[in-house]
Amino acid sequence: METSKFFNWVKEYGWRHLIALMFVTFAVYPILFVATNSIADFANLTNSKLIPDGLTLKHYKLLSSDPLVPYFKWLYNTYKVALIAAFFNVFLGTLAAYAFSRLQFKGRRASLLTLVIVQMFPSFLAFVAIYLLFFQISDVAPFMGLGTHIGLILVYLGGSIGFNSWLIKGFMDTISPSLDEAAKVDGATDFQIFRRIIAPLSRPILVVIFVITFIGIYSDFILAAIFLKDKNLWTVAVGINTVFIDDFNADWGVIAASSVIAATPIAVLFIFFQKQITGGLTAGSVKG
Amino acid sequence: MIYLSMTLSKIFRYTLLAIFNALIVYAVPLALTFESWFFLSLILVIGILVNIVYFTDRFQPMKWILPGMIFMLSFVVFPAFYNTYVSFTNWSTGHILTKTQAIGVLEDRVFTPDDQKGLEFEMYILQDLDLNFYYVANLDSENILFGKAVSDDEIFSTSYATHEPSLFINGEFSTPDGYYQLSGKEQIANSTTLQELSLVIDKNTRAQLYKISVFGASTGRLTSTSQLYTYDEMNDAIFNNATNTICPVVKDNFECEGKEIEPGWRVYVGGENYSKLFSSQRIRGPLGVVTKWTFQFALLSVIFSFAVGLLLSMILNKDGLKFQRIYRAVFILPYAIPAFVSALVWKGLLNPDYGVINSWLGPLYEMLDIEPVKWLKTKESARSAVLLVNTWLGFPYMFLITTGALQSIPKELIEAAKVDGANGIQSFWRITFPLLMVSISPLLIGSFAFNFNNFTLIFLLSGGGPPIIGSEVSVGWTDILISFTYKLAISGGRGNLFGLASSVTIIIFALVLIISAISFRYTKRLERIYGNI
Repeated sequence: METSKFFNWVKEYGWRHLIALMFVTFAVYPILFVATNSIADFANLTNSKLIPDGLTLKHYKLLSSDPLVPYFKWLYNTYKVALIAAFFNVFLGTLAAYAFSRLQFKGRRASLLTLVIVQMFPSFLAFVAIYLLFFQISDVAPFMGLGTHIGLILVYLGGSIGFNSWLIKGFMDTISPSLDEAAKVDGATDFQIFRRIIAPLSRPILVVIFVITFIGIYSDFILAAIFLKDKNLWTVAVGINTVFIDDFNADWGVIAASSVIAATPIAVLFIFFQKQITGGLTAGSVKG
Repeated sequence: MIYLSMTLSKIFRYTLLAIFNALIVYAVPLALTFESWFFLSLILVIGILVNIVYFTDRFQPMKWILPGMIFMLSFVVFPAFYNTYVSFTNWSTGHILTKTQAIGVLEDRVFTPDDQKGLEFEMYILQDLDLNFYYVANLDSENILFGKAVSDDEIFSTSYATHEPSLFINGEFSTPDGYYQLSGKEQIANSTTLQELSLVIDKNTRAQLYKISVFGASTGRLTSTSQLYTYDEMNDAIFNNATNTICPVVKDNFECEGKEIEPGWRVYVGGENYSKLFSSQRIRGPLGVVTKWTFQFALLSVIFSFAVGLLLSMILNKDGLKFQRIYRAVFILPYAIPAFVSALVWKGLLNPDYGVINSWLGPLYEMLDIEPVKWLKTKESARSAVLLVNTWLGFPYMFLITTGALQSIPKELIEAAKVDGANGIQSFWRITFPLLMVSISPLLIGSFAFNFNNFTLIFLLSGGGPPIIGSEVSVGWTDILISFTYKLAISGGRGNLFGLASSVTIIIFALVLIISAISFRYTKRLERIYGNI
């Protein structure tokens, strides 16, 4: 009786747990490995293992003290660029979304369709042209040319603004128009309706779009790599993938530490917003 | 009275507009100087748009849309067109400049005619607090020249040496305040640097350190230089003043006695880049390999991650299964980590000499008596590795979307099938899977399109390598089209082939367009979009 109950459990549930556990290992192993290795006191990749014998913070200390690897400068650059670009991206996207959602004008459908078609092509596809364009802007206005954060932010701004205003517009459409019609009767201007009614009510989607955009920019490699040549201006993505390519074996501890610092905030943010992010993503694109 | 009737917001608006226009007015002549025609047209279009929209009250909706639109036009739409233009030029290392700029560079070149070498004099070497070098050339008591010693690059931006007789008191040199005079030994220690420096006396004359003397003053020598090339507008050729030869234009360079003079300039070359892609055997071959692999990579990535994701969501889609929430939380972890971190970490794990994967597989290698796999170093292992890692990166997304889709399939359908005698496998393939595909397929196509251009993974994990031997351009077995383009344009180590790279980009554009068209057709997504409009 007992054994048949057990076999029943195996048939119904047990095999599911077995396969699930296999993939839990697959999913988690690299993450755990790098997390423990970042505080392990072995020196290189050769003798690395999942459970270290002794613990140390030396890799983290090395990251903050090695002048050849200005890691925290990169981290600062990344947050700066991604926060500024994501903020303006959402801000300008919201303005456009308001017009698309609330104002009637000729060519509205056509412009919306254009937005969607344009955003089918990832903005980095034309990176050669972007590179050459900013190469020339460097001559005319060096402060926003190649090698500057301002130039990079401008490119990121263009990158997803169409898609974002599209998503925001979709949300604004669900806000009942009776609200702003009532305000209009009371003599409110478009700007007042936007500021007092539509924008505050859209806050949930704005937060999500901000987070998605922020994560996207934070994770970008290609545009940051062609833009930033000065080591002190690099973002984390460019930095850790540029300085650590020569000697993986000896640098492993530091690589692990820098990976943990770079990934943890994004992972936390992602898990926190996971439902909304996948909801937004399934509406059109995939996270980079 | 007019001003009183203006509201504060109007004043604010016109002030901003004035500042904006000032910037445009500032930028236009600069763009003209640098002959950036595309940049110029961009500035003009934006300038006109902004003024039309914000100067009047007639285009209310555009006031909301234009700021975002400007960025999209400038950095997404415009580059797409610019890219097309570049693909019809020879824009590449050695042909970066416009013709005017190239002539400018060539006319700045100098040479020293043989009869101009001579005249030696006393020279003193000084250093200021910032460790810049200064020379004092004592030509004669009437001509005591002082100035910063500069390298060849800085010659045209440096002011000429000045006459400073006060440096000599009773015929003895005295070091001015704020400077340090280098002794002979110190000069020898710095001789490699000093050799490169010269004191600019006038446009064609410089003083250089000639002989260092440990005791007493060193010796300098005047060199008089002349312009090497003179541009002859009438014949559209440059004249080499050193050899007295005429160097005519040949396509995109001047040629002196059959030798190309660098730099050349960029010109319109028609379809040359495209014909190179398709006819040059040593580019066509690799391009074919890369294109085929791009499709394989994107397709297999979708299939593998979808298979794993679906398997897991099917397994967890069971009432009463314990630890469901924990499993779900763990399965999305790989997705939560930025890909640039994952690629770096996996590169470490896969390292063939030190990595943990090969030490894991060690016993297996021994048992089968085979050589350890050289991960990322051979074609097959590199391709397997990028697919493995991309499956790791991609299955959580597939898990999430299939979980959602599975839960929306009515349980009654499965029950009904069971009643009709269908077993689990039959009801999966006949009912669950087809229903799943209806809602999932647009997302699968989206994932395909994403992986089609998954530059981050390929470039950071394998670098596109291992290299394909015998190709004319730098390319590897795991390169996809976008990373191939990147190597052509930026990092291939064979110069910047912007023109050729742009033509490959156009191919990618076309392929993405086709994929999107299929996706639209296949999923009728367009109608949903129309619904949203």
